Amino acid sequence: MPALSCKKRIWAFAIALLAVAAVIAVCKPYVLIQGLQRGGLYALIALPMALILGVVGIVNLAHGEFMMLGAYFAYWMSVSTGIDPLVAMIPTFAAFLIVGALTYYGTIKPVLKAPELNQLLVTFGLAMALTELANLLWTSRPRKLPLPYAYSSATIGHVTFGTFGFAYLAGALVLLLLLLWFLRHTRSGQAALAVGQNPRGAALVGIDVNRTYLLVFSLSVALVGAIGALFLVGHSIFPGVGSPYTLKSFCIIATAGVGNLPGILWASVGLGTAEALVSSFRGYGGWADLVFFALLIVVIMVRSYRKRVT
Amino acid sequence: MRHLRYVALAAALTAAILFPFYSGLYLRQVAIIILIYMGLALSWDMLLRSGQLSFGISGFFGLGAYAAVLLQLNTGTPPLVTILFGGVVAFVVAFLLGIAVLRLRGMYFAIVTLALSTIFMVVAKNLPSLTGGVAGKMLPSVVFGGDSVKTYWLALGVALLTVLASELFQRTRVFYALTSIRDNELVAKSSGVDVFRYLVLAFAVTSALQGLIGGTYAQIYGFVAPEETFSFTFLLLPMAMALLGGVYSTEGPVLGALLLGALGEYLKLHLPYGHRLVYGVIVVIVMLGMPRGIVGAVRTLAWRVGRKGGGR
Repeated sequence: MPALSCKKRIWAFAIALLAVAAVIAVCKPYVLIQGLQRGGLYALIALPMALILGVVGIVNLAHGEFMMLGAYFAYWMSVSTGIDPLVAMIPTFAAFLIVGALTYYGTIKPVLKAPELNQLLVTFGLAMALTELANLLWTSRPRKLPLPYAYSSATIGHVTFGTFGFAYLAGALVLLLLLLWFLRHTRSGQAALAVGQNPRGAALVGIDVNRTYLLVFSLSVALVGAIGALFLVGHSIFPGVGSPYTLKSFCIIATAGVGNLPGILWASVGLGTAEALVSSFRGYGGWADLVFFALLIVVIMVRSYRKRVT
Repeated sequence: MRHLRYVALAAALTAAILFPFYSGLYLRQVAIIILIYMGLALSWDMLLRSGQLSFGISGFFGLGAYAAVLLQLNTGTPPLVTILFGGVVAFVVAFLLGIAVLRLRGMYFAIVTLALSTIFMVVAKNLPSLTGGVAGKMLPSVVFGGDSVKTYWLALGVALLTVLASELFQRTRVFYALTSIRDNELVAKSSGVDVFRYLVLAFAVTSALQGLIGGTYAQIYGFVAPEETFSFTFLLLPMAMALLGGVYSTEGPVLGALLLGALGEYLKLHLPYGHRLVYGVIVVIVMLGMPRGIVGAVRTLAWRVGRKGGGR
């Protein structure tokens, strides 16, 4: 497809999206605010997963579980030393860098050359094991930190809304820019991009593929661990809290297309808004979960008909 | 050698049929659970033989369970017929979905099946007038009025049906079709295998078995509820069993179900919270250490010993 028409299409798409957003903002302002906040959180969690999928080429089905563990780690730090979970993000990041490296050596590296099926089963088994480990260690009782700033709110006109949720959106923007800068302007990041495109070619020009995989996997786990600490501020946590986000993140990545990091932000906000819209109808809130999965299937099916996805 | 195998098979079958006469209530109940999981493990493996990894077992299991319970509650159909109905519903749904979804491969197929079971659960939760919503539905009584001997035979019958289906998959041309698709789809296609047709067949048949088993489960325990019936337990345990025993065979999942079923019961007594940790760990360890499971490892060993003994 010529570049011009592609660009035109993107503009048309963006204008259509803005129009929809404007309509929603007028009719149901809460939906737009909620959608932005939820979308920010979704994007934040999906970005590290997209990094692994794009560079290492495997779906980490234990992604949400690492977020859950990060949240528990931050909870433990916060309760035992009294620091704020936002500060705890830094030690959590450091600790999960090690967790990620160990996970990579223990479970991911041995199956890199194995069929895709084995990789999926390993990460799925890992996800189940981690959830159950959390269940065993901390029981299924939900935990929450009493943080007054998580409930701060603002009022514009007659609309009052919680403001902390926008931290997720801001975080997602910062993370996206950082990742893009990392991939384009640092040596390791450029190496990661090259490995993601063609591991054999990258190895031929002297890039240490294994080291790149290790770096990207650990970084991604560390990021999602730190995001867990941020997640802890506004949510109560329990062992199963992370698993829905794994599937939702994959759904977002599939919608944006593998390798399209900025697209993740748009897809997340779009899906978050759609979800918020469905739950805003009284009595039909339970159907909101369906939005993601129905869309996942539609997107994947449409892509597979246009062009084989694998 | 061949005769010995048939004798052993007949002996095992007789022992399984006569099992209720030399066991107590508790053992019978454990055996029923093991047989349920055995069927699920085997049906999961049957699709895996074509190289397609499905995370949708719990979905079709739950679909069959709901279909059976709702049919009985709304029309008063006899329990055994509703179990068949559960299988038929799962077959039809899987056939229609399969036509769409089986254009996908690898992770896309696996994750779409995972999403499908979540969709089934969301639908079951949000149609209270039909499915009873979050609370689910109760049957007025469990099958056979709770007679554990007859219930055991029912579970055994369903498990044997799955074994039979699995053997049919192994001994007919389906075997060659599925194996060649798994090894190399392009080669299979150019050798004249109708890849899509065989995959839809395998998906629909295995899902029908899962629905049948779900219907049986619902009739044995007398209730359905979204969180319990679509629980990941019905996905994780069968997968761990099939993988431990050894995939791509009938013996493997059967052996794995017996081993892990017994172990699981022991663990449940001693480790009430998080005993499922063991299953997750087993999946990881088997995939890393011996991807063909116990049966595969034994076969490799036997092959090596045989070659050393007979090799000149």
